[in-house]
Formats: sequence, structure tokens, C-alpha cells
Amino acid sequence: MVARNSTYLVGVTPAALLLALFFVGPALWALYSSLTNLALVGIDAANPRFVGLDNYARLFADPDFWTVIRNSVVFVVGSAVIGQFVLGLALALLIDHAEHRGWWLGALAYGAVLLAWVNPALIAGFLWVAMYDFFFGSLNHVFLSSLGFGPVDWIGSFPMPAVILANIWRGTAFTMIIFLGALKTIPPDIYEAARIDGANAWRRFWDHTLPSLRPIAALALLSITMSTFGTFIVIQALTNGGPGIATEVIALYAFHTAFKSFSIGYGSAIAVVMLALNFAFAVVYLNWSRARA
Amino acid sequence: MTTRAASRVTRTAAAPRGASWIEALAVHVVFVLVAVFFLVPFLWLFTAAFDANAEAYIRFPAQPTLNNFVRIFTEHDFGRALANSVFVAGATMLLDVVAVALAGYSLSRLEWRFKSWITYAVLLLQTMPLSATMVPIYGLARALGLRNSYLGLILIHAAIELPFLIWLMKGFFDNVPRYLEEAAWLDGRSKLRALAEVVLPVARNGIGVVAGLSFLAAWAEVLMMIILIDTQDLKTVPLAFYEALRTRGGYTEVQYGIVAAMGVLYAVPVMAIFLATRRMMVRGLIATSRGL
Repeated sequence: MVARNSTYLVGVTPAALLLALFFVGPALWALYSSLTNLALVGIDAANPRFVGLDNYARLFADPDFWTVIRNSVVFVVGSAVIGQFVLGLALALLIDHAEHRGWWLGALAYGAVLLAWVNPALIAGFLWVAMYDFFFGSLNHVFLSSLGFGPVDWIGSFPMPAVILANIWRGTAFTMIIFLGALKTIPPDIYEAARIDGANAWRRFWDHTLPSLRPIAALALLSITMSTFGTFIVIQALTNGGPGIATEVIALYAFHTAFKSFSIGYGSAIAVVMLALNFAFAVVYLNWSRARA
Repeated sequence: MTTRAASRVTRTAAAPRGASWIEALAVHVVFVLVAVFFLVPFLWLFTAAFDANAEAYIRFPAQPTLNNFVRIFTEHDFGRALANSVFVAGATMLLDVVAVALAGYSLSRLEWRFKSWITYAVLLLQTMPLSATMVPIYGLARALGLRNSYLGLILIHAAIELPFLIWLMKGFFDNVPRYLEEAAWLDGRSKLRALAEVVLPVARNGIGVVAGLSFLAAWAEVLMMIILIDTQDLKTVPLAFYEALRTRGGYTEVQYGIVAAMGVLYAVPVMAIFLATRRMMVRGLIATSRGL
């Protein structure tokens, strides 16, 4: 038994090395360098000094940091919790319903949503740049002008709703797929029994469909919360955090701090905050999903 | 849509009586609106790419042309970017298939009291956002000389999707009955040969998904490319695209036709592979979220 296990432990080694190098290593390195004044250039690049919790003290005293946290929360709640979750659930229910009716148009909607999801994030960001552009974007130049309205400065006037909409566009497919899968596992006899009992369609939906989706809904919600929290490319391509820092979420803030102001130590402190928040979500997520298994 | 036909059969008994025309109309209108919302941004990509004087807004080219595609190769060195991307994504795929097959199989068969800890750790890593570790990864890659190198790109891209893929593949191996490999061991085959010759063919769907997803992820990924590459020689497809659109706000005007042509060649392979294998991919995805 011991010999057999040692073979298997050897089998895990290549993957374990890669994970140690690029997941565990960077996380520990972030923890360490967040306690130093390491910089990308200059004297602090060669000889970083240990500065204790100075970076964190500076971070928590920085009003920009709290704006960034608020932006992140608005972005996550708007695009994941409200947008992707609600839209994904609604679409899954509608598509599932249409399948029972034998209506094929649901497949078109399904394909369109899926297409937005599988294309690279950078493309998604730029497609919305082209939609929102003030002078020549499709929304102003084609859509609004054909209705006789003047142009709207989408990104200038509504920066956060604009990036939220783009992210909903890109990410809705995930929850839709998860819920469609879950709907297929609801045994049809439940509905049959309910109908014999005289429950109407609405009652059957509230009493049977929604409760059986609840466990998977909790997991889907946590999962999209985590992935939305880490969103970087879509926002960077669309607004790069602007105008001002109106759409600067925490991932962009870490990036800009490290690569524009060249302070790696301070940037690492932001990374550590991100990792800690994510870790908290992940532990809840894993424990809930284990309880289900 | 995987079990569409099946669900129609099993559920006809439960299907409600005939729908009213109002319901039919409402549902169809919603579907059309949803399809329009999700497809319109792509309309720009696929019209501008074939338009000699493309603009930021959607318009149908007066004279459709392939000129933009010719120009990205002759004037923007897109051939090199394509070659780099194919090479990096292909090598990432090979490395991932080997590492994931070994690790997934080992985790599936391991009997050890810390096994649940290992699985837990793998899942925990899976939730770690890349955008949180990009600053440390940059520092690490610089210290190890992995910036501006193919090796660095391949190793990092292989690592990014590893936790998810290991977990996915372990699930496929869990479904392969053990007597298959035990029979092979009795025949005198080594563990590794039994895995390669007996177990892998049975789990080939899983290997297919792992290969497809690791290739696509490395092909599409851009964050690591941005922080790891700053030489023209190693420019990949997403970097070429990024460069072309970053002229926005600079001194030169964005050439939308060029950006769109690059975008088409960047996005279409991803969409094509994914849609062709979507049943397997979607099944893999649902399995992950369900069986944690």
C-alpha cells in the first residue's frame, strides 16, 4: 500500500511543482514584499527595506482605496449578483420552458449568450468600446441617431453602469448553463403530482422549481462573485479605471499602483487584501459545496 | 442543449396544456431581444473586418474586401504573432495534458489520509484570481528570468488552468473501473504503461476536454502576456490586437478595419473550437459546479 501510494505521489509532482511556483509562491511572495518598500526602479529596487505594516497603514488611510473598494462592491453586486445571476436564471427558466413547448427559438438565445461568453475578454472589452464611443459608437451613431436623439456620453456620464452592462453581456452564460443543468435534474413527476393536486403553473414554480434550485444557486452566486471580483481585462480595455477612478476596481488598482507608480511593495499589500477577501469567499464556497456532496 | 431530445421525451407527460398565443408571443419576443443584445456587438466585428474604410460603428461595407486581412500580415507582422500564439498554446496544451493526466489519475487512485486536504487545496487554488497574483508573478518571473521567454509563457499558462483541469480530470478517472488497470498490472505492465495504454483510452473524452480547454485558455489569455512580454519578437495574437487598439487616444488614429481583422482571427478559433465541442465542455463545466 505504501509503495503504491508513493507512485501516486510521484505522479502528482509535476503539477504540484507548477502550482507551487505560480500559485503558492506568488501568494507568499506578495505577503513578504507587502512588508517591504520594494520598488520597480530606483534605490528601493535593489535594496528593499523591511517596513512592517507601513504599506497596510498607508493603504487603509488612502481615500482612493476606499473608493476602489466601493467601486468593486458596486461592480460585483451590479454585474454578478443582480445582472448575471438574475438574467442567467431567467434565461435558463425561459429556455427550459421553451424546450418543453417545443419552441426552437430558445436555442438561438442560448447560442448568442454562449458566444458572448466564449470569446476572449479583450475582444469583449473592445466590442463595447466600439458600442459606447461618443462620436462614432454604434449606440450613438446608429441607434440613437436613427431614433432622432442626440448622442449620449455613455462612458463619461454613466461609467459604472457601462462597464457593468459589458460584464453582464460577457458573463451571463455561466449562470445560465449551471441553472439549465440543474433544471434538468428536477424529476418531472414532482410537477405531475403537483398538477394532480391542482397547483397552477405559478404555484408549481414557487413551490417546486425554485426550492430545488436553491443549493446550486448559492454555489453559482459565490462562484460568479469570486470571478467578478477578479475582473480585470474587460474594464481595462473599456475604461482603464476612468474617468478619474470612477471604474477603478481593486484588480486595476493593484496593477496601476505596481506598474504606474512602480511601488511593488505597496501593490503587493493590495494583492494581499484581494487574496484575503477571495480566500474568505472560497472557504464559504467550498464548505457549502461539500455539504451538498 | 445536451439532453434536449431526451428531456422532451421524458417530460411530455408533465408538459402543461397548450400555450396561449400571448405566452408564445411574449417568450419569442424576449428570445429575439436577448439574441439581438448578445449578437449586435459581434456584428461590428464581422462587418468592420471586411470594410476598407471601417468605422467604430456598425455599417455594412459598401464593397466587402479582404484587404484588412492582407494588411495585418504585410504591415503589422501578424504572421509572427499567430505563430507565437499557436506555439505557446500548443506547448501549454501538451504540458497540461501530461501534468493533468498524471496528477488527476494519481489523485483519483491515491489512498492516503491527507488526500482530502490535497483535493481541498486544489479547489482553493482554483478560486484564486490571477489579477491578485499578477504583481507577484511579475516579480517572480523577472527574478527567474522568465520574462520575454517562451518557457516562461508556457509554464505560467500551463499553471493557470491547472487546478480546474486536475479536478475535472480526476472526475473522469474516478469513473474508470479499477479492474482495468489491475488486469494490466497482472500482465506485467508498469503503472505508467497501464495508465497510458489502458486507462487513458477509456478516459479519452476527459483528455479531449483538458486539451481543448488548455489550448483555448492559453490562446485567449492576455493579462500574463501584457506583464511578461515587451519585445516584438515574442508578440502574440492578443498583444498584437491590444497594441492595435491602444493607439486610441494616441497620436495615430485607430484603424478599425485592422483591429477588427485581428479580432476576427483572435476570436473565431476560440468560438469555433468551443462551439464544436460545446456538449463536452458544458458537461464538464456542469459537473464541476455540481459535484464539488
